[in-house]
Amino acid sequence: MEAPPVTMMPVTGGTINMMEYLLQGSVLDHSLESLIHRLRGLCDNMEPETFLDHEMVFLLKGQQASPFVLRARRSMDRGGAPWHLRYLGQPEMGDKNRHALVRNCVDIATSENLTDFLMEMGFRMDHEFVAKGHLFRKGIMKIMVYKIFRILVPGNTDSTEALSLSYLVELSVVAPAGQDMVSDDMRNFAEQLKPLVHLEKIDPKRLM
Amino acid sequence: MQREEKQLEASLDALLSQVADLKNSLGSFIYKLENEYDRLTWPSVLDSFALLSGQLNTLNKVLKHEKTPLFRNQVIIPLVLSPDRDEDLMRQTEGRVPVFSHEVVPDHLRTKPDPEVEEQEKQLTTDAARIGADAAQKQIQGLNKMCSNLLEKISKEERESESGGLRPNKQTFNPADTNALVAAVAFGKGLSNWRPSGSSGPGQPGQPGAGTILAGASGLQQVQMAGAPSQQQPLLSGVQMAQAGQTGKMPSGIKTNIKSASMHPYQR
Repeated sequence: MEAPPVTMMPVTGGTINMMEYLLQGSVLDHSLESLIHRLRGLCDNMEPETFLDHEMVFLLKGQQASPFVLRARRSMDRGGAPWHLRYLGQPEMGDKNRHALVRNCVDIATSENLTDFLMEMGFRMDHEFVAKGHLFRKGIMKIMVYKIFRILVPGNTDSTEALSLSYLVELSVVAPAGQDMVSDDMRNFAEQLKPLVHLEKIDPKRLM
Repeated sequence: MQREEKQLEASLDALLSQVADLKNSLGSFIYKLENEYDRLTWPSVLDSFALLSGQLNTLNKVLKHEKTPLFRNQVIIPLVLSPDRDEDLMRQTEGRVPVFSHEVVPDHLRTKPDPEVEEQEKQLTTDAARIGADAAQKQIQGLNKMCSNLLEKISKEERESESGGLRPNKQTFNPADTNALVAAVAFGKGLSNWRPSGSSGPGQPGQPGAGTILAGASGLQQVQMAGAPSQQQPLLSGVQMAQAGQTGKMPSGIKTNIKSASMHPYQR
């Protein structure tokens, strides 16, 4: 007997709400080596992974006051890798016990015509930058140490200039909603990186 | 009765393992002192002491644990004394007690301290009783205050020397840079396509980090201003297109399309 058609199966539908837990800090260029060494010791044993990514941020201005933001990222040093589209929600504030910044997160891999698709949908590129740095993992935690380069001529990723003399350090975990122990693990890991880097939750709205 | 016996056994096992650990670390420390004394460093000695103190602490905790029965209430009585070698006993004590005889028992099973020690303890208790409760309390408070003063001084010294030592030579991160980088990633502050909300557009990129100011900010600003007229035009037109009333309906239509696409396709 053939299997019943899929549409007849009970499907609850919807997707798991994934949240991104984030801690950020920075390290000056001359201390980068010591930080990399420490991370290599603390994190999972793997070949040091570097990345060179080009990220474009698209805005869709609707009738509401706040525009809809989507981030498209492509790898510049790995040919053939899919583009990465990401939505990040507003950070959930209010809980002082939570040690990390928590926001809703949706990650999708796409094909290369992502920018054309977004432009057709009505999105407009707001800003772009190039991120170059190192990637480490520890269990489900991902640690990225990267330098942000400003793109001087839009669309031309060769003419770039570093934004500052520091590397941005991000410790992030993408986990289903409600797992607050994750932020405790993140804080314990962040303790081990002091006093080289101070990883803390930084509210982006405060910096506007 | 059964439960108490089990508790006793369990606590005895725990004690045994703790004491064995303590013995091992003491043994290794003694070995280190005897054989490597010319290469020994103070931090290494401190490490050994810390290990011992930690183990003593856990031993104390095990003894104080609520599940531990009062050992004081237990009595050990030797039932059989013999001058013959006992292989079992040898094995259990790792070769230290070969014979359970009249010489060994008084040492191992004693519960009273030495006579001299007992004398000293008696003297101390009579002295303490003689002072009187008030004076004793005052002395206790004085001691506590001195200890806390000392602790405060030490921690203040430590804090000051740490921050003083770090600032001149070992600053590994710049909080201003952190904020600039986070702002850049979060909403594009300082990146070339950022539309200045006020008039501080070209001035903004010069702000983050002292480095950009030093590394030829004038060159940077020239590029910015040269590129600005050609950049801003297509950008502004893009903005206007999105904001104009005639395309006002389109974005909302697009938005609802996105919403329906994100719903599960089987939910129909």
